Amino acid sequence: MKLRAQWDKLVAIMRRDLLTVMRHRNGFGFQAVTLVTEIAGAFYLARAIGPSFRPDGIPYYPFLLIGTAVYAFLLSGIGSFVSAIQEAQMTGTMEVVLSTATPPPTILMLSACSAFAGGAVTLIASIGAGALLARGAFHPNFFAAALVLLLSLIVAAAVGMIAASIQLWLQKGMAVLWLMGTFTGLLTGTAFPVTALPAPLRMLTAWIPFTYSIRGLRVALLEGGSMAQVAQPILALAVSAAVLLPISMIIFARVGRAVRLEGSLSFF
Amino acid sequence: MSRGNAQLLPSSIMDSAVELLSVTKVFRHRPVLFNWLGKERSGSTCALQDVSFAARAGSVLGLLGPNGSGKTTILKLISTLLLPNLGRVLVGGYDVERDGNAVRRRVGFAVANERSFFNRLTARENLDFFATLEEIPRLRRRQRGDELLAITGLHDAADTLVMKFSTGMYQKLGVARALLKRPAVLLLDEPSRSLDPGATAHLWSLVRQAAADGSCVLLATHNFEEAVQVAGEVMILKEGRCVAQQKIGSGTSVAELRRTYFRHVPAADEPPLAAVQGGCA
Repeated sequence: MKLRAQWDKLVAIMRRDLLTVMRHRNGFGFQAVTLVTEIAGAFYLARAIGPSFRPDGIPYYPFLLIGTAVYAFLLSGIGSFVSAIQEAQMTGTMEVVLSTATPPPTILMLSACSAFAGGAVTLIASIGAGALLARGAFHPNFFAAALVLLLSLIVAAAVGMIAASIQLWLQKGMAVLWLMGTFTGLLTGTAFPVTALPAPLRMLTAWIPFTYSIRGLRVALLEGGSMAQVAQPILALAVSAAVLLPISMIIFARVGRAVRLEGSLSFF
Repeated sequence: MSRGNAQLLPSSIMDSAVELLSVTKVFRHRPVLFNWLGKERSGSTCALQDVSFAARAGSVLGLLGPNGSGKTTILKLISTLLLPNLGRVLVGGYDVERDGNAVRRRVGFAVANERSFFNRLTARENLDFFATLEEIPRLRRRQRGDELLAITGLHDAADTLVMKFSTGMYQKLGVARALLKRPAVLLLDEPSRSLDPGATAHLWSLVRQAAADGSCVLLATHNFEEAVQVAGEVMILKEGRCVAQQKIGSGTSVAELRRTYFRHVPAADEPPLAAVQGGCA
């Protein structure tokens, strides 16, 4: 019964999000155009650079496509935690949603799941189109890819909870997210191999879980990597998830209590 | 129709649906960086000061008081949106601080803010969404939503996007949403503010019916007639304190309540913010 109730809530939230996107009429079309433009942009950039550039031994187009698509997917997933809070604060639904029988962390998690599901459609479309454009470059090991993606999602959810806490506490979650996105985009090897970075920054990349997400998915999708080949990214992501998830839940609970004490729940 | 009496007691009673025990609520103003550029106030505001009362199931308690006197703060404390700095708030014996989930299962809140819906969903879709979050069983969700749309006079607008609603329609939908789970405690924050006279009278009968069905209703209002028509008892708040309480009987007139109110809250006290700045005594 409990599980069914949670499933019903997830469906209700996804339906709400889908209806909202579709009823923005042109918004849906704009998203599709953006996606096509990004895929084409990466394709022509790779062609301009030429076939001799093979970072980590991989043709540049699939390297760039997976890097940017996965990173955008994870970052927008993290952003969805912040925007779930921010939108609720701005539209005035925050207080009524949080006074329902569903606990706040559950609402936040389900809202983010809905956003991740929307992002997953974009990710699959992106990589699918890339696979068509660069036939022969993709040798996927779907099981390994799914495992890396699942662990990456857990890490992204934990980071998202922390970002949502920042939004609740400082009302500046998006600014912090933008800053984080800029730095980690540079350091995780989305558009170029991390070996191109100077040594001190290379050390820093090892501490960012999404470096392993991108590396793991490239190996799993492009090189047909065995479980042994993706073992290091999987281990790094599993440790990150085990550490970050409980920390993020504690932070969210504490911030939730603090803002209810302060009375700033719906401030934005 | 019932308008049972709320029991305003400073001490705990076993059968009360809502209890506030010596509750103090302070809002602290966080100092901002560069406060010299456009001066923003710092310090704190005492919204409630040592407030105690209990209200029983099946009763309607009216909360009267000038702007900023603490009416909405009481409702938000009961709904777990705020936590008390001192004292305890109990709903059906559950503490809002320790048992927030249990409290939220019992409370329905019609907030004063009409912008509290998903604008690109219809009225029916909004109610269905909130009914799901309230864990109303799937088979009863649609039926309950339709029933409430009919009761609140929104049946014809059920499939209209709420972004096209008037303020009054938003308010009706807010009341419908609060009634979704047949709450043990119904909190209404100025529910008739934007309603026409006919809709207001209809709302009052709805509130009386909710109390007759066993809900404990707390109604924050500025409308003396509303208090007389609906409440069994009123509590008058001023500067975060309960300054008077009055039972409302069948013989109580609006004029009588008005006299009581202005005896405790002189008209000159209307903007109370300056008086409450500087925190609780």
